[in-house]
Amino acid sequence: MPLRHSGLQKEVLALYRRALRMVRTKPPSTRDKFHLFVRYSFKTQATAVSPRSVSTVEHLIRRGQKQLETYENPAVKDCWVSQEMRGWEAQERGDIRH
Amino acid sequence: MFSLLARSSSRHLPFQTSALRSFSSSLVTRQAVPTGNNPLNKEFKIYRWNPDEPQKKPELQSYTINLNECGPMILDALIKIKNELDPTLTFRRSCREGICGSCAMNINGQNTLACLCRIDRNENKDTKIYPLPHMYVVKDLVPDLTLFYKQYKSIEPYLQNDNPPAHGEFLQSPEDRKKLDGLYECILCACCSTSCPSYWWNQDEYLGPATLMQAYRWIADSRDGYKAHRKEKLQNEMSLYRCHTIFNCSRTCPKGLNPAAAIAQIKLQLAVD
Repeated sequence: MPLRHSGLQKEVLALYRRALRMVRTKPPSTRDKFHLFVRYSFKTQATAVSPRSVSTVEHLIRRGQKQLETYENPAVKDCWVSQEMRGWEAQERGDIRH
Repeated sequence: MFSLLARSSSRHLPFQTSALRSFSSSLVTRQAVPTGNNPLNKEFKIYRWNPDEPQKKPELQSYTINLNECGPMILDALIKIKNELDPTLTFRRSCREGICGSCAMNINGQNTLACLCRIDRNENKDTKIYPLPHMYVVKDLVPDLTLFYKQYKSIEPYLQNDNPPAHGEFLQSPEDRKKLDGLYECILCACCSTSCPSYWWNQDEYLGPATLMQAYRWIADSRDGYKAHRKEKLQNEMSLYRCHTIFNCSRTCPKGLNPAAAIAQIKLQLAVD
């Protein structure tokens, strides 16, 4: 049986998809950074809130949409990646290997 | 010179003779002094919500201040609270005289400008302050007005005319200029739009009273050459005709304007076309 998503979950996934498509429009040299930034922001915020607090998730979606709108601007060609994000990425890789 | 001396020395005098007083009608010592001796404590309940803690539900926080040590307007009270009680309280304000439209909020159930709204001096009743209703909240009393400004942009609020006069500026008769009175004074505080039930339920498509009044301001302007184009854009189910003449807009407008009348004028002109 296929996995059924709620309307809210679909909205979140649509936003994630849009963010990943935004990454593809960026120059290849900085694409990795954008990709890490998108993944990190989604994963950390998704684990920070309960999926049952609907109003919180809705607020985060609205905030994400606004943020994404600015990142989608073609004039934005690079983004900053913090040490924290690098650490998170290394840990993720490690988890997969084990 | 004499009046200057009188003014500077008046600080130290317990009282002045009438001859001296005539030089300076308002004494320095008599300005901005607490009016009463016993404190007049009034409770303000203010909507608080912090986006940094999105899990926490919005709540009303209570502040009590002495009205005898505060200016007469709600904005004075808010600034006093921010200065002395709680620096995390967030609200927009700029001109403090009702011309910028920044401090629009819902005070005791009425959308108005905090700087034009007097504090009710009855200390037994609290005053409740909320952000503008049915808008997304950025923080505390700050609403997200992005959509409101986008709608204003969509009506092209500037003079459009393909036949400018050969030299000099556009001329306008006094009668034509009078048609703009009561329209151009709008400061776009969004009080009227956010008081309109039609706007609450159809924000995405209905333009709302503030934007429609500005649309009419350009339709009514004798110098504008794109009237037909402007009217054409409003000729659909949602943009204009969601107005059901509820009149909340005219009742709440802190500048005393009448958006409902402007919308009625547009409807009339569209019907005649």
